[in-house]
Amino acid sequence: MKRFFTHLYELASFSFRFVKEALVPPYEFGELVSHLEDFGSRSLPLVSAIGLLMGLILALQTKPTLARFGAESFLPAMVAISVVRELGPVITALIVAGRVSSGIGAEIASMRVTEQIDALEVSTVDPYHFLVVPRVIAAVIVLPLLTAYADFLAIIGAFIVMFVTGDMGWQLFITSTLNSLSISDIVPGIAKTFFFGYIIAIVGSYFGFRTEGGTEGVGKAATSSVVFASFIILIADLVLVRVGIILFG
Amino acid sequence: MIKISGLSKSFGNLAVLNGLELFVKKGEAFSILGKSGTGKSVTLKCIAGLLIPDAGEIIVDSITVDAANIRDLRTIRRKIGFLFQGGALYDSMTIIENLIFNLSHHLKIPRAMAADKSENYLTLVGLKESMNKLPSELSGGMKKRAALARALVIEPQILLCDEPTTGLDPITSGEISELIRRLHDQFQVTAIVVTHDILCAGIVSDRAGVLEDGILKYTGSINELAGIDDEKVAGFFKSPL
Ligand SMILES: Nc1ncnc2c1ncn2[C@@H]1O[C@H](COP(=O)(O)OP(=O)(O)OP(=O)(O)O)[C@@H](O)[C@H]1O
Ligand SMILES: [Mg+2]
Repeated sequence: MKRFFTHLYELASFSFRFVKEALVPPYEFGELVSHLEDFGSRSLPLVSAIGLLMGLILALQTKPTLARFGAESFLPAMVAISVVRELGPVITALIVAGRVSSGIGAEIASMRVTEQIDALEVSTVDPYHFLVVPRVIAAVIVLPLLTAYADFLAIIGAFIVMFVTGDMGWQLFITSTLNSLSISDIVPGIAKTFFFGYIIAIVGSYFGFRTEGGTEGVGKAATSSVVFASFIILIADLVLVRVGIILFG
Repeated sequence: MIKISGLSKSFGNLAVLNGLELFVKKGEAFSILGKSGTGKSVTLKCIAGLLIPDAGEIIVDSITVDAANIRDLRTIRRKIGFLFQGGALYDSMTIIENLIFNLSHHLKIPRAMAADKSENYLTLVGLKESMNKLPSELSGGMKKRAALARALVIEPQILLCDEPTTGLDPITSGEISELIRRLHDQFQVTAIVVTHDILCAGIVSDRAGVLEDGILKYTGSINELAGIDDEKVAGFFKSPL
């Protein structure tokens, strides 16, 4: 328990450093682009599958309940709102945490134990600036895109259910989905994901950097990254849901 | 010039260095011999400011490393070529990219020039054909040579080498040792070489010392050390042949 809070404390100071470091040159555009590609391609297959499944399950699950009240026509709206506001961002973030946080944790940890980070320092390259900053920026860019994509697939998933059961045509589905979504659903839903992206990359980097010992340290860094990132994402979500309600109703 | 006085460093309750003293003149080459786990790598890392000593003072060319601010530390590091024991090649970059990266960050040399120079140094260590491979595609000895090329390519004034010949066959070991010596003579490099390889120490260095119990127990020329009547020192001179 004490270890947990020490981690949180050190993690906080580790993550504030980002704000300072991100603004100073040199800007590592090459690194940024390669991380964008890496994070995107690493997460895309899983995010696609889970996005679609999320919509299918949600629709199948709520359909009988809604039918009992004769409110099946609300299904598109229900799915769209819960996916866009809450499920899409959180589930995507948790999946990406599993792929990307652990990846960053393992990568930086192995650079730590094989002295590559020391080598960077001797070459007068600031390892934080070179390794952490581009990864965080890449994650902050990638996560909103992946979330929007997962949201879209989830809505397609819900449509498939309605279409297969023959309960709704596509025109009606599209109009009722679009009518149900307002800016006050979309903005908080997407805004959250910037924070989640930040958490994903910073937590992975933190555990990577503080790795000690040999290869077993690398494995530990990867697991701790996922566990912590997921946990902090959920806590942050709790806070951000409140903030979203205050700001957008 | 490297001057170390009273250097102590422990990890937890394991005292590794315990008041180590060492003076290496500008342009001199010094070898550190010593059994495994005696703190040779730790000593090199303290000199480069990668580990913070518990006590003592390290002065490199008039800058006190252990008390230096970031700018001073950078000034010192610009002069240092460091060969890490495990090579520490950046595994996401090809061999030549490793060298170019160091040149362009360390010395801010434009890329085209850096590429030429990197190729020259890789040729020098016999890796021209493999320069576009990733570190994971090289053998242990090739990695070592690539890492050495990366340390040398910046033409450092100070060279810190952690076991440059370990894992190499005797012929390549000899060649690498000669190479270090040649560059040392040519550029008046101040060098500290950690090695178990007495032949290498003999070729590379003017003086050597044996690290034991956290201090340099014996220092002197290789010939002087060979004459010391202590089995721990004599052990290094026993030729396997
Ligand atoms: N970062 C560290 N954390 C904890 N202990 C360390 C650390 N670095 C080194 N040590 C310990 O310090 C001691 C000396 O290590 P060092 O790597 O300097 O040995 P060495 O003389 O270079 O040995 P070898 O010839 O095997 O490379 C070892 O007992 C090692 O376990
Ligand atoms: Mg060592």
